[in-house]
Amino acid sequence: MTSGPLFHEQTARQRIAALADTGSFAELLPPPERLTSPYLVQLGIPVSFDDGLVIGRAKIGGKKVYLAAQVGQFVGGAVGEIHGAKLTGLFKAAARDRVPCVLIIESGGVRLHEGSAGEIAIAETMRAIFECRAKKVPTIAVIATDIGAYGGMGILSTCCDFRVMTEHGRLGISGPIVIEKWMGKKAYDSSNRALVWKTSGGKTKYLLGDADALVHDGADAVRDAVAKLLGKSSPVSLKGVKERQKELEKRLKRFGDTADPDAVWKGMGVRNIEAASLASGPEFAALAKRGK
Amino acid sequence: MKKPTSKKPSARAVLARLFGASAKGIAMEKSVLTGYATVGGAGVCVIGTCDGTYIDNAAALRLAAHVIDCVEHHPKTPIVMLVDSAGQEPNRVAEMLGLASYFGHLLSCLELARRKGHKLITVATGQAIGGAFICYGMFGDRIYALESASVGLMPIEAMSAVTKIPVPVLQKLSKTLPSLEFGAKPFALLGGVQEVWSAKDDVQAKLAKAIANSSTEDNRAELGKKRGGRKLALDVRKRVLASSLR
Repeated sequence: MTSGPLFHEQTARQRIAALADTGSFAELLPPPERLTSPYLVQLGIPVSFDDGLVIGRAKIGGKKVYLAAQVGQFVGGAVGEIHGAKLTGLFKAAARDRVPCVLIIESGGVRLHEGSAGEIAIAETMRAIFECRAKKVPTIAVIATDIGAYGGMGILSTCCDFRVMTEHGRLGISGPIVIEKWMGKKAYDSSNRALVWKTSGGKTKYLLGDADALVHDGADAVRDAVAKLLGKSSPVSLKGVKERQKELEKRLKRFGDTADPDAVWKGMGVRNIEAASLASGPEFAALAKRGK
Repeated sequence: MKKPTSKKPSARAVLARLFGASAKGIAMEKSVLTGYATVGGAGVCVIGTCDGTYIDNAAALRLAAHVIDCVEHHPKTPIVMLVDSAGQEPNRVAEMLGLASYFGHLLSCLELARRKGHKLITVATGQAIGGAFICYGMFGDRIYALESASVGLMPIEAMSAVTKIPVPVLQKLSKTLPSLEFGAKPFALLGGVQEVWSAKDDVQAKLAKAIANSSTEDNRAELGKKRGGRKLALDVRKRVLASSLR
């Protein structure tokens, strides 16, 4: 357990400063370049000089990385044309230079105010991520806040080699409010925070194997987890996708008719639900002993 | 759940238009399409959705399984991806089981196919909206749309409901910002669609040509700039690439 500020309470630039080796971060297209969204201007909505995404070069544990963090406070970290182009450019630079790329995701997905432009940008970034993976350049998504990774950004995160999560992080596509609207409060009560986190939170994602690490909600712990993954990569292979197909089929067969997240936890080997609910991320990971 | 209704031609009619008699080799189960057909006399693998269905975990797995089958048993056969889906299944259990990961898996299977020399051609035939388009169709090497297809993030009315920006304001802005407009043509202006095929077009010939001219180089940002619908994306990307070299 580490002391210091909680990662989910930090701003995007604080998170970057906390992950990068001291003084190593050099921002690309920094705020003085004034890259602002013309869409938001025309809609009379405040703009941001970085369009809600901080990108740059850094070192983590002495190793060169490209590092990005989405700014959740700015339109929910949503992806507009500029934001998305910065993201695509960074992963393309990572592929070109064979330097690992770490993305701290905090985004509800496509920025609705910019329509389809953000959607295409996410699709382009996915292509760039797979360019990295084909070259065995590690791509790592960090998901550590309640804004989490949703919509297209949730899907994009699953294209990266690895996902590092904290118990605060949430990963999904449709958010609870949207689902409640569609399916009714009986099917999904979006005000039931325990249910929301057991549906999409880091613990459940780690248990099922969709998050590769579940760590304490602090920069030191996140950095350690990222540093461990920087030397690894998982290029797409026929053997790999066939195994994954079986795993996902098994998951759907076992739990497809299960409404109760506790049953999923139990099925994945958690014995004491109450203790596991209260456990910190790393305690939970130890309790769960994934893969047992 | 209500499914958006449409007065579009039946799914079988769309398949017949694209693949002629060979469309009989395409199975349709719970609005998921899988099979093999021919285009211009050459074999193609077909995956897709129809009836504006929502894509859930099981659908993603069936599409993925068919891509794997193609990679294993039909080396280098082009894969044609048809899209008529209103979105990802908005369902709590689907989310709990990791729908995003199921989509990520489908994308990985398609990436594997691309790396192994399969051309990936997408045709948006009906609805091609949001997550349903991102999870496979937008991952094609080249993406086409029938003129009648509903392509884009979401209709202006839905955008207005979420953003609280009045419909007339969005409609007015969409005249100069095609990104806000919904449909195949504005999506093509952004570079998201290579070409829109009209009702008069010989789509079998168009599809054969599309396969022949396919390239794995993602050209959407270039197209978006050239066509004027997405003026910033390419330049911003280039600036990132240039400044990261310094």
